[in-house]
Amino acid sequence: MADIYTPEWYEEVRDAMNARVATMKNLPAGALQIKIEIYGDGASPYVAEGSERHFLVSIEDGHCAWYREVEGDDPAVKLDYRFRGPATAFDGIAAGLQDPIDAALHGTVKVRGDMRFLMRQAEHVKVLLEAYANGVQTSWPLGRPPYAADREEAVRA
Amino acid sequence: MRDSYDAVIIGAGHNGLTLGAYLARSGLEVLVLERRHEEGGGLCTEELTLSGFLHNVHANYHTFVDLAPPVNDLDVRGHGVEYVRPEVQMASIYDDGTALTIHTDLDKTCASIARFSEQDAETFRRLYVEAHGYVDLLLGTLMYQPPMSVKELTRALATFGVEDRSEFLSVKLRRETINQFLDQHFTHPKVKAHLAFHGAVCAYTNDVPGLAIGFPLLVGKIDNWHLCIGGSHRLAHALWRDLAQHGGVMISDADVQAILVDGGRAVGVRLADGTEVAARKLVASTVSVEQTFLEFLEPTAVPEELRGRIKTDVKHKDWTLFSVHLAMTALPEYSAADFDPDVNRAWVVNLGYGSLEELNADFAAVRAGRLPDPKPNAAVNSLYDPTDAPPGCATGLLRQFAPFAIAGGGEGEWESVGRWYGHRCIEAWRTFAPNLTDDVILDWVPYTPLEIAQKLPNMVRGDWMMGEVSLANMLDQRPLPELGQYRTPVEALYMAGSTQHPHGFITFGPAYNALQVIADDLGIDAWWRHV
Repeated sequence: MADIYTPEWYEEVRDAMNARVATMKNLPAGALQIKIEIYGDGASPYVAEGSERHFLVSIEDGHCAWYREVEGDDPAVKLDYRFRGPATAFDGIAAGLQDPIDAALHGTVKVRGDMRFLMRQAEHVKVLLEAYANGVQTSWPLGRPPYAADREEAVRA
Repeated sequence: MRDSYDAVIIGAGHNGLTLGAYLARSGLEVLVLERRHEEGGGLCTEELTLSGFLHNVHANYHTFVDLAPPVNDLDVRGHGVEYVRPEVQMASIYDDGTALTIHTDLDKTCASIARFSEQDAETFRRLYVEAHGYVDLLLGTLMYQPPMSVKELTRALATFGVEDRSEFLSVKLRRETINQFLDQHFTHPKVKAHLAFHGAVCAYTNDVPGLAIGFPLLVGKIDNWHLCIGGSHRLAHALWRDLAQHGGVMISDADVQAILVDGGRAVGVRLADGTEVAARKLVASTVSVEQTFLEFLEPTAVPEELRGRIKTDVKHKDWTLFSVHLAMTALPEYSAADFDPDVNRAWVVNLGYGSLEELNADFAAVRAGRLPDPKPNAAVNSLYDPTDAPPGCATGLLRQFAPFAIAGGGEGEWESVGRWYGHRCIEAWRTFAPNLTDDVILDWVPYTPLEIAQKLPNMVRGDWMMGEVSLANMLDQRPLPELGQYRTPVEALYMAGSTQHPHGFITFGPAYNALQVIADDLGIDAWWRHV
């Protein structure tokens, strides 16, 4: 079990994704670069409020080649997709508490890039997202979501 | 004008200018040719009544501001465009003196709806919040990409389990009317009428099967209606400036007579005065399918089957708009302000449709060529644009759903009934705003469906969307399946106007999507693809 947002965790996520797509047919050919941008929202202890953590995921022929933390945008990297949202949402997804498709559909996580490709590869995309959300046993050294602020908001609602 | 360019674009409406500006920014030598005396097409602002009164002859509502990529990519604000988003976007005033108002403040909108039905107010809030959440996603998927097929979309929505995650989106909407959607989710006739009216103003007619699929998206941007300060033509001028600053050329009074084809490839155009201009890389048409394939191209250049299908299968809207433009010395003061004072600040007002049945009946009458008893919608730009009329005065715009051809007399009948029907529309407005007496109205002019078609021939039969808005004429089926991806059977000839997906309105979508296809074909670096 790896700590959230550590190199070990990225490797486990990558392995979980690849295990799930191993038996899939008609995976999309070619390479995709996906940026994940997580901004602090005052609730998550893993991304301080006012700061951001960025990750780059490389998909090659439908498999996750690597997944690593990066600093900002590298002009040399041509991005195909950008997923951007609050830390509470991404932590919740990684904890299996927040449905990633829900998060995109309801605008919590903003998605940019060629939406036709995502729609045409819906089966593949869904499998990758499920692996991210439920494929890894994650440890949460600073506390596990839902966070106190979330719970307070839920109670208020 | 030189004798050759990389790209020659026919039509300097917002799509032609947008495509031209992107290509010019990409380093191509671009020529945009316009038949009229100025750029803009439907972005046409004229002093139709009196000096100093600016009337938007066609496009008045800019509903894709900050949703359409070209607004930022081409820096239209930097080129002088100023948009205002009226606080009270729209209203319906009903025959009994009640009124419903749509605000940029969701709470105020819901409070207004709640005066008719608290349940409907809650439903509207949920629909708005849900739709607002995915408006970016859907616009990115459906409007600002070359189109997918309905089948592909349906399959993807099913795979992602959207029905289980959404209260309002459903695959079955592709078979339903907006009326059915409203009947399923809302209860009060007036609330339903207002929402259907809003759809109809966007050309999504409430009784057409399949259009329910687009309705949540319409609600997601129901409060994104913008007014272009100084008139809609300012946007056209901004796009022209962007084109020109990047080396592109727009020539007005340039009446294209023919698209030149050599060896199955579009190689240029010929103007009415005989001038020929060569196109080294592409010709793009933003005018109608009929003009492009039946008038500009020699019959031998177009497959016979396609020519036949253009004559028989290209569908146009079965209703159009009759307008009245007014110069006034006062703003309307509605009697319904006693019920809701905000109606006096509403930019666009539905005057009288209080049920779906009333809308259904009028659309049925219009399709039969009859003129309905006027229930026009009234837009008063001066409420939010102090520059569009002299101090202390105001412009008014009445729009009435109407047929192109009048039963028994055809479209020519408009020349004799236009002024009479305009007067009836003003009388209808006066019923709700009694202060608009004859002495308040300094001048007014009708603008008939016939004039739409005469002024802008690409709006065939007054079709201001340049093609029927129906599921059968959407996405990759618009205007015909073989033309649905912006390419044509003639090599290097592209369709980039509102005949194409998504449709008319100031969406920029046809040009933006054609650009993607052209960029792929020519190997242009797509600098605009912001990820």
